[in-house]
Amino acid sequence: MAEEDIQAKLQNYRTAPFDARFPNSNQTRNCWSNYLDFYRCQKALDAKGVDTAPCDWYKRVFTSICPISWVQKWNDQREAGNFPGKI
Amino acid sequence: MLSVIAKQLKSHPALIPLFVFIGGGAAMSIAYLSRLALRNPDVSWDRKNNPEPWNNMKPDQQYKLFTVNMDYSKLKKEGPDF
Repeated sequence: MAEEDIQAKLQNYRTAPFDARFPNSNQTRNCWSNYLDFYRCQKALDAKGVDTAPCDWYKRVFTSICPISWVQKWNDQREAGNFPGKI
Repeated sequence: MLSVIAKQLKSHPALIPLFVFIGGGAAMSIAYLSRLALRNPDVSWDRKNNPEPWNNMKPDQQYKLFTVNMDYSKLKKEGPDF
């Protein structure tokens, strides 16, 4: 049931929807939270051995909201082992 | 100190609105600052037990005082659980 929902949501995706946790115009934390959630989701579902396709929701959201330079910087930090967030 | 103020007020009762407005302004500032300190989902007092307080909110919980165009009752959680 949740599988078809998330596939349908991914297909109908236009942009990041309103998130009640971040109602103001400063969406920095929204970007950070979705970036973290994507990699945590991947890590958790990989550990369980389940298909990680549902995690793509978070990836689409952070790709919509985050500046590309931030995403690149965080990817480099993750590769170097410097990433400040808890994944 | 309060008796000094009370005596002054009795001889100059026009000062009472001054106390009312200044006191009201101070109360409003303190109230807003405490709301920010205690209710803001970006504030974490205890990093060990509550590291990401914005994740404790429900998807339809409203934090802002006034919302004009947003119908909070229709929102639901978007991303998948993991």
